Amino acid sequence: MDVVTLFLACLASFGRMLTAYIISLIIAIVLGISMARKKYVEAILMPILDILQSIPILGFFPIAIALFLIFLPKNIGLELASVFLITTSLVWNMIFGVYSAIKSLDPEVFTMADVYKMKRFSKLAYIYVPVAKEAITANSVISWAGGWFFLTSAEIMASGSEEHKLFGIGSLIIDFYSSGKTTEFYIAIVLLFIIIMMSYIMIFNPATNTVLQQHILLAFDKIFYYIYKLISILWGFIVSIGIKIESRRTSFHLATLAIPVIALSYSLRSNITNLYYLFLLEFIKNFLLSLGRVVFVVITSFILTIGIAYLAIVRRWGSSIVFIGEILASIPAILWWPLLSPFVVSLPWLVSFIVFLQGSLWYEFFNVILFGVPKIRVEVLDLAKIYRIRGFSYFRYILIPSLMPSIASGALSAWGGAWNASIVAEYFESSGRIVDLGGVGSMLSRYTYSGSYGYVLFTVLLWALMIAVLNKVFWSRVFKLVEKTFIVE
Amino acid sequence: MKPLVSLVNIVKSFGGKGKALKVLDGISLDINEEFLAILGPSGCGKSTLLRIIAGVEKPDEGEIKSYSDIVYGFIFQSPTLLPWLTVLDNVALPLLAKGIDKNIAREKALRYLSLVGLHGFEDFYPNELSGGMKQRVNIARALVVEPTILLMDEPFSQLDPLTAEALRAEILDLWLSGVTTVKGIVMVTHNVEEAVLMADRIIILTPRPAKIVKIIEVKLSRPRDRRSKEFQDIVDQVYEYVS
Repeated sequence: MDVVTLFLACLASFGRMLTAYIISLIIAIVLGISMARKKYVEAILMPILDILQSIPILGFFPIAIALFLIFLPKNIGLELASVFLITTSLVWNMIFGVYSAIKSLDPEVFTMADVYKMKRFSKLAYIYVPVAKEAITANSVISWAGGWFFLTSAEIMASGSEEHKLFGIGSLIIDFYSSGKTTEFYIAIVLLFIIIMMSYIMIFNPATNTVLQQHILLAFDKIFYYIYKLISILWGFIVSIGIKIESRRTSFHLATLAIPVIALSYSLRSNITNLYYLFLLEFIKNFLLSLGRVVFVVITSFILTIGIAYLAIVRRWGSSIVFIGEILASIPAILWWPLLSPFVVSLPWLVSFIVFLQGSLWYEFFNVILFGVPKIRVEVLDLAKIYRIRGFSYFRYILIPSLMPSIASGALSAWGGAWNASIVAEYFESSGRIVDLGGVGSMLSRYTYSGSYGYVLFTVLLWALMIAVLNKVFWSRVFKLVEKTFIVE
Repeated sequence: MKPLVSLVNIVKSFGGKGKALKVLDGISLDINEEFLAILGPSGCGKSTLLRIIAGVEKPDEGEIKSYSDIVYGFIFQSPTLLPWLTVLDNVALPLLAKGIDKNIAREKALRYLSLVGLHGFEDFYPNELSGGMKQRVNIARALVVEPTILLMDEPFSQLDPLTAEALRAEILDLWLSGVTTVKGIVMVTHNVEEAVLMADRIIILTPRPAKIVKIIEVKLSRPRDRRSKEFQDIVDQVYEYVS
């Protein structure tokens, strides 16, 4: 095995991740702010984002590749398509994080900004970014894992019968697996883990600790110190230039980025006429099957997370638990199949369940552990101690209600994540072996692999419709209830 | 004497078409070089009027005429400080946002911080201060823009009585001594005694939609004695119009 190749592959994958992360960061800040501050942007984008985060973007992928390849030379087009795909697995919770941080800010602050005639850039520098900083870092921890989870899928892209491969650690691992090079396969996996661990310990964990001003995550600060300095200098520079330009009355438009998103969803809607009955029937059957799985996975995620939150609070295991979570959460989805290959034949549903859980649990987990647990009111915990509230009552009356806002927003992301994971959890194909457990995810996978773009489009479309309906009838009610009942003042 | 600003027939409603809720119904008022108190029951639209004067909100009808370049300072009911900025930067913020050089902005902010008695606290963060101190920062931030008119939205209502009384005296001192640029003050309040203690004129508004029922001039010399008969007479007179 070639060490240099491995090293370069890691570098390539890391570069893709980093690019996608930076793009996500910019999108999250721009969209999050405009959604929180402009009613019409909120009205338009909120439902679209809700749907997009619950649909496997892998499903759009053949279309995305095709689009990128029309305008760009093959290498660059594929590379961009891959970064695009990773971005779609990073960006949603970051947008919602920025959005809700700004939304929950005291409205007087905006009056203050208006009274003192702060323009866009001053607001960005002195209000929006500082207020969203916590949400951005904590969500970055989640997103970074989400990106690795889909990395392999973003490096091996099926477009009809054609398979495009990008050079990277994800594609290398799959290559080793399919060609039966077991030693290389495991070495590459270990290497992948090392990169993931390092990126957390040296970048994201110290960043979270710094921003939350609590030492809750395992971290090595020395290198981050320089990264932090560099970012501070860069940001300070951007801010001072921006404000100088702005005080000369030029301004830029925050909402511009919204247009491609709207255009995308619009073009998808114009294709409904071709649906026919049989397809609809098959879709509904498969959708219900997936729905059952998703609900089961979300409930499992909830139960596991509450148990872990209990350990984090009562036993103070927080930082090590989160670190283990970060690693586990980052394991690429497709890897689970080869990793658990001894069980694939005998217990395919178990492997599928683990992949589902992987794509879902961590949203609930990180939301509760990073947002919920540190913000529990000490008085509430004291109350439990003083009145000796223990056992089931402790969960029922103290723990779950105090964590409720973070549980609810985590559950919504976990729900989206589970739907997203269905495409890799219900269908797996490698070196001639096919595991197909049915469900919409598998439907979409099959259509993608066989290049039936028409069906891909219909499936995605119907899927979006169902998600929209479910969000409307279920999740919006959950959130109203949570807002009314569980916010401890 | 020419007023600083004139409000002419200000009308404002909230809510959409059909179920619009009128809050201000034809308010006309001159703001002179004086201390003006706007008194009315809660929810009558006093704060809205203040926001319209500050230019944050647009009236549906009517206009605000200024006769010279007017700069407004605004003291918010709650301090509205940004927890991620130091006390000094919170005060300097309006200047920083204008693109004024950092050092100049901070120097000026420091001056006004001393003026409100917070010398030595510039590197603290808002959460490290008491309620009264936060409100002083709020005041310093309003003064740093070197305002002609100071707008105050129930500035003492969230403070404990002792701190509130001390700050009332300080605001009056700052204004009367002429160390600031402030020429006129407009204070919104629902506290009758506070209005009589501080103001030259008291504008009494009706419940929603707000109209001016009465303007009472307070000609007592300062400092005013809350227990004097003249003071109580004016308080009684004001109460007649406050329903």
